[in-house]
Amino acid sequence: MASQTLAPGAAHRPRLRMLSKRHRPEMLAGYLFILPTVLLFLVFVGYPIVRSVYLGFTTWSGFGSPSWTGFHNYHRMFDDTVARQAFRNTLVFAAVTTVLQTVLPLLVAVLVNATWRRFGIAARTLLFIPGVVSFVVSGVIWKLVLDPNLGLLNKLLDGIGLDSLTHSWLGESSTALPAIMVVSLWQALGLNMLIFFAGLQGIDPTLYEAAEVDGAGAWPQFRYVTVPGLRLVTGIVISLNLINGFKAFDLIYVMTQGGPNHASEVLGTRLYGLAFGTTSGAVPQFGYASAMSVVVLLLCTAAVVVQILLNRRAAR
Amino acid sequence: MSDQQTPEQTGSAPASAPMSRRTLLKLGSLGAAAMGVSPLLAACGGSSSGSASSSGSSSAAVGGSGGGKKATVRVWTWYTQQQKEFPRLISEFQAKNPNITVENRIFGTPDQFLPALAAAVSAGNPPEIFAPHIRALTYGQQGVSADLKKELGDDFLADFFKSTRDEYTLEGKQYALGWMAQTFGIFYNPDMLSAAGVQGEPETWDDLIAAAAKIGKTGKAAVTVSANPSTSGLDFFLPLLAQVTDDPTYYLKLDQLDGVSYTDQPVIDALTLLQKLVKAKVFQPGVNGTAGDQAEQLFYTGGSAMLFNGSWTPQDLITNAPKGFADKVKVMQTPALKPGAKHYTANQAGAGLAVSETSKNKDAALEFVKFIYSPEQYATTMNNSNSMPSTQSAAEKVSNPVLKQMTSWLIAGNGVPHIPFGNGSSEAGGPLASIYDGSGDPADVAKKMQEAVKNVRG
Repeated sequence: MASQTLAPGAAHRPRLRMLSKRHRPEMLAGYLFILPTVLLFLVFVGYPIVRSVYLGFTTWSGFGSPSWTGFHNYHRMFDDTVARQAFRNTLVFAAVTTVLQTVLPLLVAVLVNATWRRFGIAARTLLFIPGVVSFVVSGVIWKLVLDPNLGLLNKLLDGIGLDSLTHSWLGESSTALPAIMVVSLWQALGLNMLIFFAGLQGIDPTLYEAAEVDGAGAWPQFRYVTVPGLRLVTGIVISLNLINGFKAFDLIYVMTQGGPNHASEVLGTRLYGLAFGTTSGAVPQFGYASAMSVVVLLLCTAAVVVQILLNRRAAR
Repeated sequence: MSDQQTPEQTGSAPASAPMSRRTLLKLGSLGAAAMGVSPLLAACGGSSSGSASSSGSSSAAVGGSGGGKKATVRVWTWYTQQQKEFPRLISEFQAKNPNITVENRIFGTPDQFLPALAAAVSAGNPPEIFAPHIRALTYGQQGVSADLKKELGDDFLADFFKSTRDEYTLEGKQYALGWMAQTFGIFYNPDMLSAAGVQGEPETWDDLIAAAAKIGKTGKAAVTVSANPSTSGLDFFLPLLAQVTDDPTYYLKLDQLDGVSYTDQPVIDALTLLQKLVKAKVFQPGVNGTAGDQAEQLFYTGGSAMLFNGSWTPQDLITNAPKGFADKVKVMQTPALKPGAKHYTANQAGAGLAVSETSKNKDAALEFVKFIYSPEQYATTMNNSNSMPSTQSAAEKVSNPVLKQMTSWLIAGNGVPHIPFGNGSSEAGGPLASIYDGSGDPADVAKKMQEAVKNVRG
């Protein structure tokens, strides 16, 4: 039983070393193949991230050289009422959209998989179409739908006698962000449903048969077979939704630009306004905006950590 | 040792093995996070060589028939109004100046344009001619934009309206020229006013309130105003400051917080006037949720009898409104505080042109500027695009009747500033939203406006 005391893979290690010597030219060729991609990644992703982290510790208007100010920008965020609101909104937006955009697509995927087999392709296609539309186009379309005077939604509510429920959806502080969340859900539902649907195809049908033999109904089957079987996929969907929630920008910018009075302001729209928009007036605040973008980066990294933890649990 | 232990736990190096699915997912997730946030970050990159460097004399020989060096002039704007005119101008210019190539790039909106310009300026390579937006004076101070007074001379500038010159002037230097001027007014549908029993044009705000009451009885909105985004709401509000103070320079001081504050009485009075209009239901429901294009749609679909908008509206109506609608639309000045008082109107040339100070092709760029502003070319360009010119001579040749009327207000000197150039000034539009939705108190909103502007200055 000596082999049992060996670390996994130890027995193969000498063979692998030999293989690596023999295949060194192949390995070199492999590295050469990925080199262009790695270079592109470093130039267009790696360098900007490092540069932004650096700029976050400076004051820079885009002219001349940045001046080092240490943690001033991060301290400023604590005192900045709009930044605090943007941070809160970002967390709320990410949390709510993650829950909605995970639970609903899962249920829809299960429905499509179980009850609409005949119409599965048509249903999947219809649900997936919004995901193909760009965020900017979606924003423009929904801005028209939610128009307080000419919008389809208010007209519809008026038409069925629910005029008391009409709102200036994007013009009221209480409804602006929730309205954008609904649009975000509309956009993400199809893609997330498709991911879950693919995951459902990977669950062994005999597990359902065994559950049925044991007398389990639809709910227990869902709870004890489907959900555990989709743990890995769910982890991916959750982390993708979290990342998309934390870096939310385009939809919100097109629909409200963070208004009214910052009610739908998130970190993405705020940092854009400070760096490239008219928020800072004639002098852009690249340093402060970069510090905000670093916060977004940290939040996205946290989302990835969440996914890794979920994957670990799923693998146990 | 358990079979579950990993190489890390055993202290042994991991075997060189194919990448596991879990590792791939981890790396993929990290990559996704980085890729996801990188667009936000990448935009802030670039070199920091935006400082001035004297270009000296341009090496580019310009002019027509000579065999000098070739020069390329890049023109960056968001001026879609002239998207058919620029190719014509360029073609005629290049025919006379074969050594100069003009590359015209029109961005869709200021929102698309500003990041590109900021990146180009930060990288030390701004286009030869560009729309400077609200950064005109800053770019001038930083040596990015040329002093056109020095380059083109006083005679060339004398033809420009004072208001379109002043906004681009600092310490006697002219850092840009007005391209399209603008005034704001109230466009109205005469048929709807007649149907509501409104006789003539309301001269004062009280007249407008009375007219709104009559129009309201017909089930239509009186005046459509856009306040989405919040900064748009400033277009209507800021000229009210000139009305209550009778001082067209008041906002210039407020913009810089130069001895005045948003908590001062004139601002509270202007907010009180706006609140009065809101309470009288002068505006359509949901002002804060109405974007500029939606405001126009509501007007030309008969949802409102009037529309508060800028001098780009005639062209928009020709392009977007039902056939024949633009022909019947009329325009009036924004009402005054009392009969006989001045009808101050928002007016500044938000659309201007600046020339790069540091480009080696500066002289070629200046040649193109002289060409497009030449009296025969400029008037034709503005008329063909139904745009308001920035010069006196072109203003006299305006052909569109509505535009001609709106230009006359500029000539009469009724224009007042309405563009927030100052650091954080646009933030004042945020708290203003609560006046438009009827929930705010003028004194409290004024205080919040001051706090908002101070807050973003850091």
